[in-house]
Amino acid sequence: MSAWSHSAPRWSPPSRRYELASIAFGLLLWWALARFSGLPAFILPAPGQVLTRGWDALRSGLLLRHTWVTLQEVVAGLSLGVLLGAPLGYVLAKSRRLERLFAPYIVTSQAVPVVAIAPLLIIWFGPGMVSKVLITVLITFFPLLMNTLVGVRSVPEELHHLLCSLGARRWQVLRYLEIPAALPMFFSGLRIAATLSVVGAVVGEFIAAREGLGFLINEARGRYDTALVFVGVLTLMALALGLYALVRYAEGRLLYWQHRDGQTVVINPGPR
Amino acid sequence: MPWMSPLLQRLLRGLFFLLVVWTAACGRAERATSARGQTPAQEPSSLQTVRLPMGYIPNIQYAPFYVAVERGYFRQAGFEVEFDYSFETDGLRLVAAGEVPFAIASGEQVLMAREQGLPVVYVMAWWQKFPVAVIAAEDAGVRTPADLRGQRIGLPGLFGATYIGLTALLHHAGLTEEDVILEAIGFNQVEALATGQVPVVVGYITNEPIQLRHLGYAVTVLPVADYVNLASNGIVTSEAMRAEHPDRVRAFVHAFYRGLQDVINDPDAGYQASLRHVEGLADEDPGVQMEILHTAIAYWWTGDTPLGYADLDAWQNMHDLLLNMGLLTRPQAVEDAVTNEFLP
Repeated sequence: MSAWSHSAPRWSPPSRRYELASIAFGLLLWWALARFSGLPAFILPAPGQVLTRGWDALRSGLLLRHTWVTLQEVVAGLSLGVLLGAPLGYVLAKSRRLERLFAPYIVTSQAVPVVAIAPLLIIWFGPGMVSKVLITVLITFFPLLMNTLVGVRSVPEELHHLLCSLGARRWQVLRYLEIPAALPMFFSGLRIAATLSVVGAVVGEFIAAREGLGFLINEARGRYDTALVFVGVLTLMALALGLYALVRYAEGRLLYWQHRDGQTVVINPGPR
Repeated sequence: MPWMSPLLQRLLRGLFFLLVVWTAACGRAERATSARGQTPAQEPSSLQTVRLPMGYIPNIQYAPFYVAVERGYFRQAGFEVEFDYSFETDGLRLVAAGEVPFAIASGEQVLMAREQGLPVVYVMAWWQKFPVAVIAAEDAGVRTPADLRGQRIGLPGLFGATYIGLTALLHHAGLTEEDVILEAIGFNQVEALATGQVPVVVGYITNEPIQLRHLGYAVTVLPVADYVNLASNGIVTSEAMRAEHPDRVRAFVHAFYRGLQDVINDPDAGYQASLRHVEGLADEDPGVQMEILHTAIAYWWTGDTPLGYADLDAWQNMHDLLLNMGLLTRPQAVEDAVTNEFLP
């Protein structure tokens, strides 16, 4: 059983036909609804109106300015979520006692809706970027922690025994066994966290902010500029999709050994 | 259908789905048109159920509405009113789309909505004075609007009545946003002032100052209305309702007018009615709640104009302020946005 190879096959992007067709169909549906439903523009603006509004916002620098602020919050929050979630997930995977000790806090941190706790974070940490980043961390670290924990625990015991019998040290077990074994699950959590990080940043901006896409959407809503609301929402979608694609790319590069010669290679061969 | 190619089958399925969605949307538009037309086939004796967007959470300040419901004024006018505590901006959209006949909204919302093409019109003033106020910690040294220079000021955000009211006050003192430091703190003005996060906040005369004083914090208050006359909250309807069903608009306005008058004459009746509509009000300090109500009453009616009368000067001031702030991009005729024709 060999889980990975030393030679990396060329990574090629998957076919985009179906995604493009789906997007095209969605746009057509949107246009049809705006055109034939009788709904006024302040309820459902047409794609053309949104495009025009978006272009105006782009030219004036408005859209880029607010997108940059949200992007900073998202990247900072996601990075901190990884730095906190992954190591903690590893530690809890190695110690069931610690897992039981932290379990109530970890579970309740996810059970409480972030929109309920966000105002408190803003009161405690102020209305600046810190509170937005913390909200993002709160929402992203759980999938990263849990997936890391499950990934590390999924390593078969016999592989541990094998490396120990070969005289491997603790860091070698971590470097050559546990990390590669946990990476697929970790990336699975990272994909979820990447899209959730956008939600976290925007929730904070909705409540108290001077900049950011959440603020822009709120402000546009208050001015009945529905087309600009759509621009903000679509930009958020693009941001989330972009992050997701970035994670998938990184996953494809780092986990090339998972899909070799058209077959999926797994660490755990299953019960004998 | 073996005689049809897979591509054609997929195309037909897609078109069918589109047709289903379009039909559903047309049905919705039809219902909206019917709502705009209002009661085309109802008997005069039947009640029209009206969902009324209030713009805020249940509160004793809505006492006139609660009294109008409790004493049957709305029912006598032909309405069964259901309170909907959704956002003010959503309420105006619903009115404009013909989904609901009336909503509660502030003057600046009506002007901004009209600029975006929402066909709404203000038909009765509930608050004749703008209720926004600047609240400062006693030791911040803010006694006049000019003292705001250089101060850090917390407000919910750079939008809404608080932002507009603060800007009006700054302009009155010859100041601009560049002369102060604005911080968006969300709806946490009490906490922000109490914890010293900011020395000055912007809120409502009927809310934050009263809360802070009862919590033991010494504050100074600068009511915007003492310096600038601006249009505030009232009843809004659609242009279609005004044109096609003026009798319904008049009936609704008169029903609310009676409730408003009753609470002004007997605030305790307003408190009692509110107990049945505001969950948890009975657990609140009655003294604080009555202070809120008495403060509100002083802002509902100035005594200088008839009750419910919308002052066109206040509307022009609001219009000019919004234009100056860039919240309106082109001038409007304010007399098209507001009318007193339905008052008793």
